[in-house]
Amino acid sequence: MEYVVQTTNLSKRFGKESAVIGLDMKIRKGEIYGFLGPNGAGKTTTIRMLLGLMKASSGTIQIFEKDLNKEKINILKRVGSLVENPSYYPHLTAYENLEALRKILGVPKTRIHEVLEIVRLTEVANKKVKGFSLGMKQRLGIAASLLNSPELLILDEPTNGLDPSGIIEIRNLIKQLPAETGMTILISSHLLTEIDQMATTVGIVTKGKMIYQDSIESLRMYAQQKVLLKVSDSEQAWRSLLGNGIKADWEDGIILLSEHSDGKVAKAIHTLVHEGYSIYRVEEEKRSLEDIFLQMTTREKVI
Amino acid sequence: MIGKLLRADFLKIKRKGLWFLSFLGPFGVIALQMVNYGVRKDYLLNQSDDDWGYFLEYVHSFTPLALVLGIAILTSFMASIENETNAWKQLISLPVSKMSVYLSKFMVLGSLLFVSSLLLGVFSLGYGILLNLGDQIPYLELLKYSFYPYLAALPILALQLWIASVSQNQGIPITTGVLGVIFAYSAFILPDWMIWKWPSLMNEWDEPLINVMLGIGVGTLLYIVGMLDFTRRDVK
Ligand SMILES: Nc1ncnc2c1ncn2[C@@H]1O[C@H](COP(=O)(O)OP(=O)(O)O)[C@@H](O)[C@H]1O
Ligand SMILES: [Mg+2]
Repeated sequence: MEYVVQTTNLSKRFGKESAVIGLDMKIRKGEIYGFLGPNGAGKTTTIRMLLGLMKASSGTIQIFEKDLNKEKINILKRVGSLVENPSYYPHLTAYENLEALRKILGVPKTRIHEVLEIVRLTEVANKKVKGFSLGMKQRLGIAASLLNSPELLILDEPTNGLDPSGIIEIRNLIKQLPAETGMTILISSHLLTEIDQMATTVGIVTKGKMIYQDSIESLRMYAQQKVLLKVSDSEQAWRSLLGNGIKADWEDGIILLSEHSDGKVAKAIHTLVHEGYSIYRVEEEKRSLEDIFLQMTTREKVI
Repeated sequence: MIGKLLRADFLKIKRKGLWFLSFLGPFGVIALQMVNYGVRKDYLLNQSDDDWGYFLEYVHSFTPLALVLGIAILTSFMASIENETNAWKQLISLPVSKMSVYLSKFMVLGSLLFVSSLLLGVFSLGYGILLNLGDQIPYLELLKYSFYPYLAALPILALQLWIASVSQNQGIPITTGVLGVIFAYSAFILPDWMIWKWPSLMNEWDEPLINVMLGIGVGTLLYIVGMLDFTRRDVK
């Protein structure tokens, strides 16, 4: 299997503290990989190691199937990144900020206009970044990360500190990128809702350890649903459901339907109505992804 | 690679006043002599047969101080450009080596100080001619007084750049900078081995060239140590 990013047993210690422990991250081409974990979980530390900003204490990093230690510059040519709070030169204009990076990257000047267009900052291109809102600075940071038309884009909490409209704006921006260019994206967040709406794959990290790594669909599977029925004479009603071959549980006077396709639920209701029970409530119980995430990251064990 | 970084770094110092400071330093040194000679020109011209030499000595009495102060300010400003929004991480995640990033910073500072030294020579020459110090213009002496202190100050530049680029707390390079200025001011009483004495061109053998050679040698050494330390560290 070809991975764009593959870390093996990646660890980072700060003195006695371990910020990242034995992390095996695998990202396939074209994925939007959501790197999820509460604050202090080790997301930024991992990303800093991927970009060669920090040296790993142990373990290896392969990007584009090349060893980061050996081919750092060749790898970084094909990577764009935004780490933590956006970096910028406040005394320069948006255009000049990008120009300072462009000179180093050696891409044509027209690319500056293109990326400004993508993040919709064309109109303020010649204004000093000092006066920009956080959202604009964040967008400038994304523009900077896109300058070299990267094959791998790494964004560390790109919506952190933004207001809801800013968040939606950045989210839409990120979602459209891979479709247009076949880019692979690694995006970190401490909010599941963020990742849920963008990612195709998730890696969940807590206390420096990867505790889950799979497709977003598999994660959703854990959010099992149950349909609850509140009816008259519930124990009787439950038995008659079982008698009609419908799988159900009975708990504290409530019937739980374990099969919850529309057809099955309709059949159960029909049966009960037909046999003369009164139906007071039909409810759906849902374990949200948020619950699962919370459970995973606080209990520190895989589901 | 270094050419690209230099062009980017020169763009980044735009509007930061670094060019202006590079002009202000030598201008200030000459301005002091404008006051000095303005007030007591006749007296000063009577003090010596070698009016040019005497004038250059006076100019040089303030050069080391201006230079050491200038180095402290320029390195702080230079580091602040990357420190302000922690742009080091953005810069170093570009396809560049950390060594070349560091070299570029050093070269920009070196160029600014070179321009200052050049301006010092030009201003000295200009004001000397204005003062009518004589037709025998000592070009060689002029060059020495302009560039010897610069070369002798390279270790201070290398040291300040090192401290400014690796310190989390920018109070540290400012403190060492201020200490340096105080040392440079007290050059008379400092032992010969103190790098802050070197720009004064004084030593017990009375041979300025020793300070220049030491400056280049120790400057290179401190530069290499600083660069290796910068490369070794995790980026802020
Ligand atoms: N430079 C550093 N020195 C010491 N500890 C650090 C450093 N950077 C991060 N840490 C610690 O490592 C842990 C992980 O931090 P971080 O990677 O920033 O988490 P996240 O990005 O997931 O919020 C935290 O406990 C943090 O305090
Ligand atoms: Mg973080």
